[in-house]
Amino acid sequence: MTHKNDHAGVVLGADRLSKAYGPVQANRDISLALGAGEIHAIVGENGAGKSTLMRMLQGMERPDSGSVILDGAPVSLSGPAEAMARGIGMVHQEFMLAPDLTLLQNLILGSEPMTAGPLRRIDWAAAEADGKRLAAKIGVEVDWHVPAGSAPVHIQQFTEIIRLLRRGARILILDEPTAVLAPPQVEELFALLRLLRADGASMLFISHKIPEVTALADRVTVIRRGEVVFAAAIADTSGEEIAGHIVGTEAPPPPVPLAARAGRTGPVLALDRLCTGKHQHVRALRDISLTLHAGEIVGLAGVAGNGQSELAEVLAGLRTAETGRIALNGADLTLADTAARRAAGLGYISADRRYEGLCLPATIALNTMAGSQRRPPVARGPFLRPAALLQGARARLDHLKVRYGRLGDPVSSLSGGNQQKLVFAREIATDPAVLVVSQPTRGVDLNGIATIHRLLGDYRAAGGAVLLMSEELDEIMALSDRILVMADGAIVGELPRGASMQEIGRMMVMGADHG
Amino acid sequence: MLEQILAASIVLTTPILLAAMGGLVNRQSGIVNIGLEAKILAGALVAVIVSSATGSWLLASLAALAVGAVIGWLFALTITRGNANMIVAGLGLNVLVAGAIGFILSWQYGTSGTLRLPDVALLPHVLPAAVAEIPVLGRMLAALDPLTVLAWASVAALPFVLADTRFGLRLRATGNAPQVARALGLDARRIQEATTAIAGGFSGLAGAHLALTSIGLFNEGLSGGRGFIALAAFYFGRDRPWPTAMVCLMFGFLDATQIRLQTAGLPPKLIGMIPYAMVLAALILASVRNKKRKAA
Amino acid sequence: MADIRFAAMLASLRALLVPFAVALILAGIVLIVIGENPLAIFGLLAEESFGSARRIASTLSSATPLLFTAVATAICFRAGVFNVGVEGAFLVGGLAAVFVAFALPAGLGITLIPLALVAAMAAGAIWLWFPGWLLARFEVDEVVSTLMLNFIAAAITGYLVNGPLLSASAGNNMTPAIHDAAHLPRLMPPSTLHAGFLIGIAVMVLYGLWCRYTPAGVEGGLVGLNRRFARAMGISVSGTMITVMCLSGAIAGLGGASHGLGQLFRFSDAFSPGYGFTGMAVALLGRNHPVGMIVGAVLFGALASAGTTIQLFSSVPLDLVDIIQGLVMIFAVMELALPRLRRRRHA
Repeated sequence: MTHKNDHAGVVLGADRLSKAYGPVQANRDISLALGAGEIHAIVGENGAGKSTLMRMLQGMERPDSGSVILDGAPVSLSGPAEAMARGIGMVHQEFMLAPDLTLLQNLILGSEPMTAGPLRRIDWAAAEADGKRLAAKIGVEVDWHVPAGSAPVHIQQFTEIIRLLRRGARILILDEPTAVLAPPQVEELFALLRLLRADGASMLFISHKIPEVTALADRVTVIRRGEVVFAAAIADTSGEEIAGHIVGTEAPPPPVPLAARAGRTGPVLALDRLCTGKHQHVRALRDISLTLHAGEIVGLAGVAGNGQSELAEVLAGLRTAETGRIALNGADLTLADTAARRAAGLGYISADRRYEGLCLPATIALNTMAGSQRRPPVARGPFLRPAALLQGARARLDHLKVRYGRLGDPVSSLSGGNQQKLVFAREIATDPAVLVVSQPTRGVDLNGIATIHRLLGDYRAAGGAVLLMSEELDEIMALSDRILVMADGAIVGELPRGASMQEIGRMMVMGADHG
Repeated sequence: MLEQILAASIVLTTPILLAAMGGLVNRQSGIVNIGLEAKILAGALVAVIVSSATGSWLLASLAALAVGAVIGWLFALTITRGNANMIVAGLGLNVLVAGAIGFILSWQYGTSGTLRLPDVALLPHVLPAAVAEIPVLGRMLAALDPLTVLAWASVAALPFVLADTRFGLRLRATGNAPQVARALGLDARRIQEATTAIAGGFSGLAGAHLALTSIGLFNEGLSGGRGFIALAAFYFGRDRPWPTAMVCLMFGFLDATQIRLQTAGLPPKLIGMIPYAMVLAALILASVRNKKRKAA
Repeated sequence: MADIRFAAMLASLRALLVPFAVALILAGIVLIVIGENPLAIFGLLAEESFGSARRIASTLSSATPLLFTAVATAICFRAGVFNVGVEGAFLVGGLAAVFVAFALPAGLGITLIPLALVAAMAAGAIWLWFPGWLLARFEVDEVVSTLMLNFIAAAITGYLVNGPLLSASAGNNMTPAIHDAAHLPRLMPPSTLHAGFLIGIAVMVLYGLWCRYTPAGVEGGLVGLNRRFARAMGISVSGTMITVMCLSGAIAGLGGASHGLGQLFRFSDAFSPGYGFTGMAVALLGRNHPVGMIVGAVLFGALASAGTTIQLFSSVPLDLVDIIQGLVMIFAVMELALPRLRRRRHA
């Protein structure tokens, strides 16, 4: 029983919103109140339910129960168009700009100023004046006449924000706006958002970076497994407290016990001064040198977008390095293609399980055996033996106790955790010397996470070498023998197992500073 | 002789130019229209029928425009609403319309291949015959007909329409990034339907021009692949109106000089190949350049 | 797994029949408009296509080139390569076969046949290797390149049969007739059904086996479903593209050879009334599946062979067949998700 007065002063809010997708309760009884001229941070790990909440706030999803509050009263929004018309604008992680059109054209697209008179045409002078005025208001400079696709990333983001303001947005929802930005650009963005706040705009700031939240927000709401677990004014809390609530009130997961090593020892993978070519004046990778030994897990920590995924792709042979050298067990693989790398003993667990790690419409059997189709016993002479393929798939999956219906089912019928186990089963089946592992537990439930961590530990114990990239710092801390920190495409430091989150965090930032 | 070639080139360019301008707008909005040929043919047939029935080249042209636009719009629906693959649907449309035309010819007129009707009004000349006396350009000016003027007017107008009108900006955004257009509240599908109807209407006019210029009859081979040559033109002209028009003019010139080149020993079949070979060459050059830029 | 395969077969059967049924219904409406009884006409069509051994033979004869062009299309579509250049490869292969079969000495006898078939396959394979290589190496859009190559093939073959290869005796636009020894044997004289039909069925079967029982075939399917995955699994995407284009060209060329050596015995300007495009409709209808494509080819063969007779026995113009074919092509692709079709440029 909700009284209207309860929502007085709420510009945008949620009143006990719940939403389930099939058996998954994505949001449960979420309440939230964004006040005028306030920046309200929504934090939580990937999959905590933030995006479902945002979709409901914009009317893209209908809540199962509860209601969205706009200007103090419950509303039922029909979608982003109506949300925009009522002053709610969203800045997506993926920018909504047409790359071949100029920034100015993108700015006015959909609400073009027109000249008066019989030959009505777009009033470019008015458009540019609009853009300049709004850019000045938030203290940025934009060259409006470059194609959006070749403008720097932060300028694209500014353009999005300016476009929302121009269309009358007074409430901004920013979905992890710093994920794609370099640290100086983050500062610029924050300055801009503070100006907007001073001007009376209200903002929901979605993030999972605690320092950013404490630096920018007025209030914070922590969502965990679809529920609000903590809400406070920033002044009344601390980064540590927020962090505790993000990972849960229970103690953070203990480091995975790393068993004594057996089997191989010694260096297996050596990277020597790897660089990628310049793209928009930026090198994704700069002078990466590292040595990976048998029987160790090396974690690569860093803010997303600092070169980790590019390094994984370079190692997997999906992206070319401009200079530098890759050697596996002494053999030079710098110029080898993916097939040769796999044959030489390099396994790859892609961050994009759904579109690179797996072929969703193909069968479980084929997904499990892909890459082995030219090797005996699946191949015999020029032919492929389906019976051997099925047998091999069954053996690989049984080995890791992956649960599946039938080998002929599409792999999309498996749960996220079982899909990832299947990927592991495939990648370790050929006994590779090195596994390049990227975001291994993304979109995997808790049980699945535990299993995957155990599998990585087992592989290490048997003498395997793992290069682990994860956006979940605690995952890296729990699993790694040593931790390398990446910033701006370079390795900026190394820390031993047991290093604290603060030490790692400091290094991420420091590296970024001198980069 | 130069005067004659000029005059013939201009007249032969018009249908290609009309279809190319329509197809260019269509492609800028994200639809590659393989079915221009069908709409040219349909426009030609309708133009002959209406011209014979009414004695008015204007009504005939309008009817051709309307029929082309309707076919284009229906074609667009299969793509925008039916999620049909635009290439296969376009090829299917060409087969379907050719079949339908043959069907109508033999069912209604009891003929196959060619339709001759009485009193077909041809396109008039815009300028008085006296301009033919002007040196060099005279015969070309005398040959100008309303659809040719319209075609070149559209070339002149299109840069403005594409750059400075709401519709132009929105259709380019739709072609460049449909998801962005949708996110900004534009109805990408309706924009594409509109441009496909425009392409159809222009192609219908191209058909009217082919049928009503000098012969005044309809033939199943009348379009002679001009829909595809138009496609070649805007591919080669990279969807920009003036460069595309220049390519069309070149194709028209080739067409006009074909007989002369033939007597000079060049086989006509190989001359007919030139537009397609040019597109292939342009496509390869553009891709190689793109690849180099990406690698750099 | 058996019931899954059965369900999949049911689904592809539906995919085959629905566009055809919709096209027939629309054609039926056209027939009603012109005052004909559609049931009677369709009955006559069925009668004329399948009513006797002779008629069935004639239907299968018409279906023969489509078997080749359908497989040639399917092998590329399945790998996500949108090759619309089968028509051109059919022409090039046909001319190559015919050339071998009339230009080499007649004394070679029956060995002319394998020589001509190999020449046709090589010519077709090389013809489509080119756009395949351009696609793999420079990302040249295969749709436009193969479409343009169709016109170029028509122009070059047209030039050759009107010039250097023009028959001295037979009049315009055609080559000399091939040697008698190079004729593919007739299966059911006096019908024109010839051994090319059996080759076509064999190609269909080999294609089905290739898809399932060879690494390259399985890789082709994976590349079609998900290029990124294929690449991460060490499958050479560009190699696969070139392979399927060459195979497509070879099969289309073989189809041209079958048509030249079995049906026309020479090459002329009107060698193919668009078999490449009808083959595309067949491949789409049959969803790249051999059984579906055989059924589709026979249906289109029936339309083509019976259409001629229909015109004789009723007032219904032969063009009805084109109407049905065009409608089938359009309806076959509506609401149908082909792998990676469109518009990856923006992806």
